[in-house]
Amino acid sequence: MTPMLQVKGLCKRFGGFVALEGIDLDVGKGERLGLIGPNGSGKSTLVNCICGTLHNEAGSVRFNGRPLDGMPAHKRTHLGLARSFQLPRPFASLSLLDNLRVPLLYTVDRRPAAGRSARDLEGRCLELLGLVGLETQARRWPRDLTQVEMRKLELARAMAAEPTLLIADEVMAGLSHSEVEEIIALLLRLNGQGITIILIEHIMSAVMSFSQRIAVLVSGRKIADGKPGDIVNDPEVVRAYLGQ
Amino acid sequence: MRSATFLSAALAVAAAVFALALLAARNDYGYLMFAGFVVLQYVVLATAWNILGGYCGYVNFGTSAFFAMGAYTVVALHKLGGNPGRYLSGTLAEFLIPLFPLSMPSMILAGGVVSGIVGLGMGYLTLRLRGVFFAIATLALAVVLQTLVINWDFVDGSRGVSIIRPGRVSVGPVSLSYIEYLFLLMLVLAVLALWIARLIERSRLGFGFASIRDDELAAEASGVPTLRLKLIATTLSGALMGMAGAPLPYYAGYVEPSATFGLPYAVNSIAMPMIGGTTTWAGPLIGAVLLGTLQQIATVTISSVVNLLIVGLLLVVFVIAAPVGIVGLIQEFLRAAAPTRANLRSIALIAIASYCFIAGILGIIFSVQAIQAGSAAVAWLGVFGLSAGALCLAASYGLLKLQAWGPSLATVAFVSAVLVALAQIWLGGGFFQAIPIVVPAIAIWYLQTRDVKLLYRGCTQPVAA
Repeated sequence: MTPMLQVKGLCKRFGGFVALEGIDLDVGKGERLGLIGPNGSGKSTLVNCICGTLHNEAGSVRFNGRPLDGMPAHKRTHLGLARSFQLPRPFASLSLLDNLRVPLLYTVDRRPAAGRSARDLEGRCLELLGLVGLETQARRWPRDLTQVEMRKLELARAMAAEPTLLIADEVMAGLSHSEVEEIIALLLRLNGQGITIILIEHIMSAVMSFSQRIAVLVSGRKIADGKPGDIVNDPEVVRAYLGQ
Repeated sequence: MRSATFLSAALAVAAAVFALALLAARNDYGYLMFAGFVVLQYVVLATAWNILGGYCGYVNFGTSAFFAMGAYTVVALHKLGGNPGRYLSGTLAEFLIPLFPLSMPSMILAGGVVSGIVGLGMGYLTLRLRGVFFAIATLALAVVLQTLVINWDFVDGSRGVSIIRPGRVSVGPVSLSYIEYLFLLMLVLAVLALWIARLIERSRLGFGFASIRDDELAAEASGVPTLRLKLIATTLSGALMGMAGAPLPYYAGYVEPSATFGLPYAVNSIAMPMIGGTTTWAGPLIGAVLLGTLQQIATVTISSVVNLLIVGLLLVVFVIAAPVGIVGLIQEFLRAAAPTRANLRSIALIAIASYCFIAGILGIIFSVQAIQAGSAAVAWLGVFGLSAGALCLAASYGLLKLQAWGPSLATVAFVSAVLVALAQIWLGGGFFQAIPIVVPAIAIWYLQTRDVKLLYRGCTQPVAA
């Protein structure tokens, strides 16, 4: 079976700096992949290349067998590939409700047989806000939110695009222990509904408990890819993290 | 309100405005049509600018380019229409010659099409630029197009071209002078522009535009085709600006590049939405009516030279004190003073603040006129009026911003305004003398009520009667 997401030989340079070098990564349908690596290892660059925010110089990205190279980011979102940003980027002048309305209007509603009334749309927005515990703030503005709530909004907005593959880029940074558990439970529930999830995270306990498989990036190269148990014992990974 | 209801309401208001203007024009106030035309032209320009600048957040400094392209399209069509056989030949001529001379509405449409195409082209070339670089590119476009027109002999280049305005026109059963006809057309265009702006605001397109304004990367990630939406905005905005410029040659009777591509159009079309508020259709309307009217008043009282000075000063004041514009100020006030539902108290206070604001600006303009032209006594009254006007402006800000000093300052401002009005009556000058006494008196009484005092002490819940 062909994997849902297939990254082959991906390279990305910023001037003379090589950010990604020959990355190969396959993600199967319904899988939970953890992507880890030290700061500056190229995790976010990889996400940006997959999602079309950046364009890779070499290599290819395929989604459900379809090549994505050169495709603008919004079309990738229409295909079912959604992401949250590492630093929250809410639509500051729109209420929380309308923040979610944008992806619903532009992604979900344009798919065939999805025609919803305005009321349905609002209901769906509230439902999504409820998932991340922000339903009481639906009519407030992002400026009223805390950093943590902003991250939850970011996740809810990515989910509003009804993706089949969700890339969560450090959604848990700065969250308390119980909140991390909450988000993990939410992601597990989404995964249970059949959504494939790539989780980029620095909180090791979260990655370990969530992921079925973990890929490790260091200095733009993938140095390991395997089950969580194997990864923690991998000497190369230990060296990269502890600097031995 | 549904958009069909909005359109009918707007058309009804437009019909009333036209009927009133016609009544005034036929009773010795003919200048009103000339002045009103310019104000309406700015309503269209400001609304058009706001579609790209306010909704999408792309600041366009090249309004005059689109405006002038509309005007020069009409000039070209006018010259072509004067002697089509000379310029057209072959099979093309057989089709085109019977179409001439074109009616004004079809020329406006043609101006809109040309400017829309220029907008599309500009969008395609420049929309990968952001922020200040996009703004500079639009400014450059205006310079390039102006140079082209200056060197275009067919429209008489930098010499400018004179056009003789046709005589009377019949619209249905009514016979109108050509200026009245142009006023009517511009009124229809203004309604059209406002209707389009409001339609966008409530639609999928509007949410897409807002997401582009806030964060383009996040918009793309949410599935918004940002480039296509921006092209729609530049085309629509350019087309409306071109339509606003199209009647100019017939209105002015003479157009030349340096005035048609002039700075005032660019400055005004930015300042009006900024002062009115950029997030809703009402902002550019309020800004254009306010600034457009003030400029017309200043032209007849002081001098047309101060027009841009007024706009510039107000823009500076608003950018510093109220970057959200008038509509934004009112929205913020309502959110704080009447969180659940607009009540009588909040509406009364908005009315008082608006009166205070308009009285302040008019007071300043008339005071400057008095200082310039009057006798010593009138000049001293002008100096006093100037300070009363400034007090009024500060007070309206304090009232809307719910400052504790708001009501007291407003009371002082209103008292001094009444004193000025009384002195004016005593000196035998001025007009509408009753209004500047009666309205402030009511306002002063209302500002002393317990309800208002509580609000400005930080208690926003309305008090039970």
